[in-house]
Amino acid sequence: MDNKDDMETAVSVHPGRSATPDPWAENVRRVAETRDRAAFQELYKHFTPMIRAFLLKSMGAGANRSEAEEITQEVLIKVWNKAASFNSSKASVNTWIFTIARNTRIDFIRRNERNDRKIDIEDIWHEPDSPEPLVDLQQRRAEQVIKQAIATLPDEQLQVLYKAFMEGKSHNEVAEELSLPLGTVKSRIRLALNKMQILIDR
Amino acid sequence: MVSFHPDAKFLTDFAAGNLPLSEAICVAAHLEFCSKCRSHVQQLSDLGAQLMARLEPQLAAADSDDRQAFEQLMQRIDAADTDTAVTSAATTISAGAARGSSANPLGLPRVVQKLAAGGLQDLKWAQFGKSLRIAPIRIGEKTRETAIYDIRAGGRMPEHEHRGEEITVLLKGSFSDADGKYVKGDFVVRHAGERHQPTATLDTDCICLVSLEQPVKPSSFWYRLLEPFVNYRLSGLSN
Repeated sequence: MDNKDDMETAVSVHPGRSATPDPWAENVRRVAETRDRAAFQELYKHFTPMIRAFLLKSMGAGANRSEAEEITQEVLIKVWNKAASFNSSKASVNTWIFTIARNTRIDFIRRNERNDRKIDIEDIWHEPDSPEPLVDLQQRRAEQVIKQAIATLPDEQLQVLYKAFMEGKSHNEVAEELSLPLGTVKSRIRLALNKMQILIDR
Repeated sequence: MVSFHPDAKFLTDFAAGNLPLSEAICVAAHLEFCSKCRSHVQQLSDLGAQLMARLEPQLAAADSDDRQAFEQLMQRIDAADTDTAVTSAATTISAGAARGSSANPLGLPRVVQKLAAGGLQDLKWAQFGKSLRIAPIRIGEKTRETAIYDIRAGGRMPEHEHRGEEITVLLKGSFSDADGKYVKGDFVVRHAGERHQPTATLDTDCICLVSLEQPVKPSSFWYRLLEPFVNYRLSGLSN
């Protein structure tokens, strides 16, 4: 237990994490360092129903409940296996697990496609390699802003975000489903992102 | 300084995992050059995570016992060898080291290195005129073609009109057209109907990753990919 703090200093050299405490980061660290099953079981209990809910929605009509369950288990196995690569200064455990679930879902969708090139989903949707401490600190603040602002979004904006992120629909698919012009979908997303201070200037 | 970026639609579809492969490859390549867009994608992932946290939690099928399900998961993990984490962490580190080393002299983005396994020279290049060669990359997508373009220093591409959306990510060198100058990392989108004539700058070759939306039209792969250039050459000959 004593060397945990040393490990943490080595991995995370700036004070960003203390500014926004993440209750689950400690569990992931324990899984990474000591393969702590009790810590993993707590993560399991908290995140499994959430991951399952996401996959049931986002895997679409092509997947049945047992496939969604299988992918949920795959996500959890990755959480266990990749715990050492989790960097608490870069993202919260919540975000980290979402990206693993998202990538596993993309992988599932592409699994049956023929592909000449040996390209892994994680060659595309991967964590940045180099640490960027200043940016990371801002990142963790940004996460708090998003969390608070999301509760204040009008339903029509929340709806398009929900369809994009949770149902796995592209802008075009959202527009078609809601019988809205593509421009309206774009502007609703844009307004929502601005409120969350995700300021993409193009 | 990177000055052309993917818009909110590209970044949102990317972060939500909904961007088709060819376009996603272009966004991923740009991200390696652009910390600003990386940070946006990270924020969008935070947003996805918050949306996930707001879903109504789905419990496992009614008859299954939570504790028992956990034990089964741990059995799978144990069976798959608990050393995996150590191995994968080591692999990540060595892959990271390789990226910064001479193994990748052009500083190509990770996804391009993977697509051009063995190096750019091993791709199947087709030469067009003196200044342009194109290596198509098959990634199994029907609606778009993905390719790497190499324009010789000072070379001028034929003026061409786009029949579908074209995304260009500059991997090396720079080029300019009537609308501006583009440098390494820039993510440039041209829409159907736009015409331009890119020219590589004089000092160095220009290498680009290109994703080209295909018009819905049954014709051969090569013909479709190279059609604008073939047309140009024919019209050039007739002048």
